[in-house]
Amino acid sequence: MPQLRNVAIVGFAQLPIVARDEHRIATDMLYPVVRQALADCGVERDAIDYQVAGSTDYMDGRPFGFVSALDATGSWPPRQDLHLEMDAAFCAYYAWVRMQAGDCDTALVVGHGKSSEGDPNRILNLQLDPYYQAAIGLDPISTGALQASAYMARTGVTDRDLATIAARNRTAGARNPDNQLHQAATPEELMRSPWAVEPLRAAYLPPLGESATCLILAAEGKAEKMCDRPVWIHGTDHRAEMQALGGRDLSRSAGAALAARRAYSMAGLSAATDADVAELTALTPAEELILAEALGLDPSGSRPVINPSGGPICGHPIMMTGGIRLGEAFRQLSGRAGARQVAGAKRAIAHASQGHCLQQNLVWVLGSERRWT
Amino acid sequence: MNQPPEQGIKYIDSTVYLPYDYIAGDYKTRYLQALKDKRILGSKCSKTGKVFVPPLGNSPESFAPATELVEVADRGILTTFCIVNIPVIGRSLEIPYVAASVALDGADISIFALIQECKPEDARMGMRVEAVWKPDGERQGDHEDILYFRPTGEPDAPQASYITRL
Repeated sequence: MPQLRNVAIVGFAQLPIVARDEHRIATDMLYPVVRQALADCGVERDAIDYQVAGSTDYMDGRPFGFVSALDATGSWPPRQDLHLEMDAAFCAYYAWVRMQAGDCDTALVVGHGKSSEGDPNRILNLQLDPYYQAAIGLDPISTGALQASAYMARTGVTDRDLATIAARNRTAGARNPDNQLHQAATPEELMRSPWAVEPLRAAYLPPLGESATCLILAAEGKAEKMCDRPVWIHGTDHRAEMQALGGRDLSRSAGAALAARRAYSMAGLSAATDADVAELTALTPAEELILAEALGLDPSGSRPVINPSGGPICGHPIMMTGGIRLGEAFRQLSGRAGARQVAGAKRAIAHASQGHCLQQNLVWVLGSERRWT
Repeated sequence: MNQPPEQGIKYIDSTVYLPYDYIAGDYKTRYLQALKDKRILGSKCSKTGKVFVPPLGNSPESFAPATELVEVADRGILTTFCIVNIPVIGRSLEIPYVAASVALDGADISIFALIQECKPEDARMGMRVEAVWKPDGERQGDHEDILYFRPTGEPDAPQASYITRL
């Protein structure tokens, strides 16, 4: 593995996830978050070289709606800016790539959007091909159920196993004040909730939420000045799979497995169990099990701790959920995780996904020490 | 089997239906409410004092909060304009007509406005214009409350007074 440039996460701010913010438009939600992340780093906007935003114009209902976020990110004098129709974690990847190329040292990475203003299930239906899949009304819940069925058939996992995963997330999530759901839950309680789409019960699925998030990335030399405990990027990899659901084995995630192998190799992480924390963008309990298999994690083991934040089941602001996983990893490794702090955490895995049934996967390995010297 | 069909199904119809339910947010709610009373509100940048209409929560220019709401005039200066000679979707106006930027007195950025009661050849930069409101009792608190702007007949404003507010 060649020497790469040491890049760190030096700041993270998010709004607590809510079902619907009745008082603020998306840019008014984003502005205080950007201000807070900059203030936490002790810098003004002029200290940032590059900005990347993740959101979806379909949710916003306006072509080029993302441009309005420029008003809230301090874009004057004119800045270098990029928008991705992707989760904020993928935006962080682009910022990291730009830093590897050497054309910026610092970056602002935001996620924004009000999912309550549109109809996410209708919108995400349009991600599928228009001839066969979108046309029959598949949405992320029904494709997630197909995926869960496939996984259960292959492994023999039961409804109770799914409930146990969901309950662990919910119970951990009660310690995270930024979550939309704050109540701990037992598997028995969750198993009493009705089917959303069998074999997924309503209580196994995230509520729809909205938020605003801001990560700040900085390269070595600047990172140490912006944060007392920068969290260094040790490895990362991003893989996309084919769109057609029937063209891949939904019970596995080949893309997540390959991304993990490459990211671990870059990071010098010999096994996932050498990490202390893993934050996964698992939108159903079955997806968490599929990801655990792909990433080499033990979902019932003690190390790494999976989703100490409560995971997406406790809050899923679309286009921000993956960015929050990265932010949570930053909080854990920089000692900012409050009541959910994993004691002595030094290395973390953060995972983001996009698309139906884990179509795209992005894996990060982060550490409290620099990767390359 | 291996030849493309001569009379194949060449198209499918795919109707996308996506409903939206926007909130105005606290700033624009007050702005829209004020239109019912024939008042136009802007927000003032806490750093530079510039006034934005419609109100914004922060200045895109200075990055400082702009939370103080101030009233601006319902009249101002036509700063730049164009003459529309083609029908526009959703509008049944007699063409040609003038569409313009208007810098309201007291505002530091201009708003888009329809100009009526004005021959296109008479429109010019610096021309003073005023809002024509819907009658009392008919205003709903939306942008249709201002029907259009029209010339006031006052002397033209000097270019220096609006050149930074185009």
